[in-house]
Amino acid sequence: MKLAIVILFVVIAIIILSSIGWLIGIFNQLVRLRNRFQNAFAQIEVQLKRRYDLIPNLVEVAKGYIKHERETLEAVISARNQAVSGLKQAAMDPGNAEAIQGLIGAEGALTGAMGRLFAVMEAYPDLKANQNMMQLSEELTSTENKVAFSRQAFNDAVTAYNTYKQSFPAVIFAGTFGHGRDATLLEFEDREAIAEPPKVSFT
Amino acid sequence: MAMDFFQSQDAARRNTGRLVILFILAVIAIMVMIYLLVAVIFLSAGRGESAAPLLHPGLMLGVGGITIAIVGLGSLYKMGQLRAGGGFVAESLGGAPIRPDTTDPVERRLLNVVEEMAIASGTPCPPVYMMQQEKGINAFAAGFSPEDAVIGVTRGCAEQLSRDQLQGVIAHEFSHILNGDMRLNIRLIGILHGILVIGIIGYFILRSSLYTGAAYRRSSKRGGAGAILALGAGLAVIGFVGTFFGNWIKAAVSRQREFLADASAVQFTRSPSGIAGALKRIGGYAHGAKVESPNAPEASHMFFGRAITSGLNSMFATHPPLPVRIKRIEPSWDGEFITTGPAIEREEPGAQVPLAGFAGAPAAAAESPAPPRISAVEQIGRPTRQHIDYAAQLIGQIPEPVINIARESYGARALIYALLLNREAEPRRIQMQQLSEHADVGVYDLTGKLLPAVQQLPQGLRLPLVDLALPALRGLTASQYQAFSENVMVLVEADEKIDLFEWALQRIILRHLEPHFARVKPPVTHYYALGRLGRQCSVLLSTLAYVGHRDRPAAQRAFSLGISRLDVRSTSMLPPESCTVKALDDALDELNRTAPRVKQRIMTACAACISADRQVTVDEAELFRALCDGLSCPMPPLLPGQPLG
Repeated sequence: MKLAIVILFVVIAIIILSSIGWLIGIFNQLVRLRNRFQNAFAQIEVQLKRRYDLIPNLVEVAKGYIKHERETLEAVISARNQAVSGLKQAAMDPGNAEAIQGLIGAEGALTGAMGRLFAVMEAYPDLKANQNMMQLSEELTSTENKVAFSRQAFNDAVTAYNTYKQSFPAVIFAGTFGHGRDATLLEFEDREAIAEPPKVSFT
Repeated sequence: MAMDFFQSQDAARRNTGRLVILFILAVIAIMVMIYLLVAVIFLSAGRGESAAPLLHPGLMLGVGGITIAIVGLGSLYKMGQLRAGGGFVAESLGGAPIRPDTTDPVERRLLNVVEEMAIASGTPCPPVYMMQQEKGINAFAAGFSPEDAVIGVTRGCAEQLSRDQLQGVIAHEFSHILNGDMRLNIRLIGILHGILVIGIIGYFILRSSLYTGAAYRRSSKRGGAGAILALGAGLAVIGFVGTFFGNWIKAAVSRQREFLADASAVQFTRSPSGIAGALKRIGGYAHGAKVESPNAPEASHMFFGRAITSGLNSMFATHPPLPVRIKRIEPSWDGEFITTGPAIEREEPGAQVPLAGFAGAPAAAAESPAPPRISAVEQIGRPTRQHIDYAAQLIGQIPEPVINIARESYGARALIYALLLNREAEPRRIQMQQLSEHADVGVYDLTGKLLPAVQQLPQGLRLPLVDLALPALRGLTASQYQAFSENVMVLVEADEKIDLFEWALQRIILRHLEPHFARVKPPVTHYYALGRLGRQCSVLLSTLAYVGHRDRPAAQRAFSLGISRLDVRSTSMLPPESCTVKALDDALDELNRTAPRVKQRIMTACAACISADRQVTVDEAELFRALCDGLSCPMPPLLPGQPLG
């Protein structure tokens, strides 16, 4: 009889310890996945910063040629500044839905403004042939490719985090462990897709 | 004294085996002790002095079963955690991965040193983790096998050591990787954890029975409560005593490995001042080698220096005392530690190349190295100073834009595609077309832009470039990697020709990246002799014979030379049609499951086969290195004039 109680005790102890270990495992995995998407955001930040640094140079070169389209140029600069502050907000907490939405909005505005600028530039072949301008657009395209690439990585990490958080058994404990809200995916429109003039073919 | 790579791999496996036996003995001892404890408490209470009732078969079974279950589960749990990869261990110690394209001078210098070491030892550059919060000077290597090895370094180590000293520390860590110490380390942690769990359970029972005993004093039979209390106390004591002895064993094993790693590092860098300097700096630094992370004690034996200080220093110390280590390396040491750190400047690429190089430098240089007489096979897993210098030279020869692209994930893919493109125009055209359909537009363009630069690279640089690009490729996400590996296969198959180098390249890349993205079982040693592997050996040697020799008779001679080194039943050379890429892949997969000694013979046979025509072209040398990699034997780059086998 006493032996039975003892064995019961040991078994209960084992069960409790295993459960604690399992809970710790879930907690650690949540933390790990969150760190991963935060790191992934840092990579996007690097690329976006480079893009934002290129834009004022581009506008400077364009100013020399485009004398009458001041609003377009100014729209680009102000959209760029908005995006810079949006990025700063988002970088402080990539898990925050409002900050990410803010960044998406600012980026969308910037892409639209850039698209209009490039459309305007079509009418200035001298500008397009300018060495500096060619180099800058080249770098800009390359940077945007890298933004898309690291954005993909960020979204993959966010999806992994959200999926784990929403599935059993993590879904039960996520809230208490401090992972209440889902992280938001970063969706940008591609500049090419918006700004591309319709292709006209002469056959 | 010095064992070669294969001997030390064998020794490491034997030591692991001995450890498992010790562990089993320890568990048996624990079972006996627990049984005695339980029996004394419950069976003899209220009985006489007779010894016979103490032997209760049912109880023995029960205690034995539960103990094995607890210890087994505890160990397996921990080892399962650790198996999740070296990165897991590094993160649990507070490390964060350093980006391969970092520009921070401290991190850049560290990565440059690691890159040189990696290329010198013929392994892909491992991920490097930085423990930002740690001011002490320390480093570790973690991971289950050389394929998933990671290196971790404290902030203090990266900032407080000169480049020479840093090189010594990294060389020490690479020695651990190449000597197979890591598997042993992880088994040690796992085993000890299992024994510790018993103590934890006992402690838990103790606490809870004290708690319930206090609350329900009136209802519990005094005997019952007392018994449970005693049980809990007894289990706790047994568990902690077990851990005590376990730590003692861990410490003794670890101390011996540390001396060995120090010696290997000295052989590697040929500059005792490097590693001795690092040890002296630790001695003269306020924070020493202390690691503050709460997980440090568990992993204390994996570090370079003594990470935690315990009261019973000599018995439990996982590392020999600093002065003893320094004296072993530098017998003429005067007892002075180094108390100041270096000034770290931004490194120029290629700046570390020593002036006495190989490119025909005049004999005015103090030490112009003659072509080494030791063959490449003998240097597998045993790189030397010459290899480090040669590696620095190789890295310096790669144009800076190409190296920068290799170090970031986006461009690294384009670089690999460019390396896989055929040298002849027509097959290349087909490959480019395939690429344009399957790859991102940006990457396709970048590949086109990189092509001229890549084609101008001397051939000996291609494999080192892959070694440098692998860390960035590890940074891809799972779906990006999926697309990348599919594109690689598309490129290899698109040109409809079997280019052996292409195949080797693709195999190296995918072999080193797969474990990072999917759970890949490491090859288990299955064969201790070549008896059953005649066909595989024949495929391998026949392919090599055809690759390097123009006509059939010459190839036959090469094949015979190679096969004579192996004791397989008479096998004949296969016709060219049988030497397909798939056959070669399968053959290598099987041969990878042989014991280290057997692999050494296989490599020697391959070397003999290639060298049969007394001419080792760069192509053949690279192919040989790729084959070594395929058999999990890291071969340092072939030095100019060095014989193959």
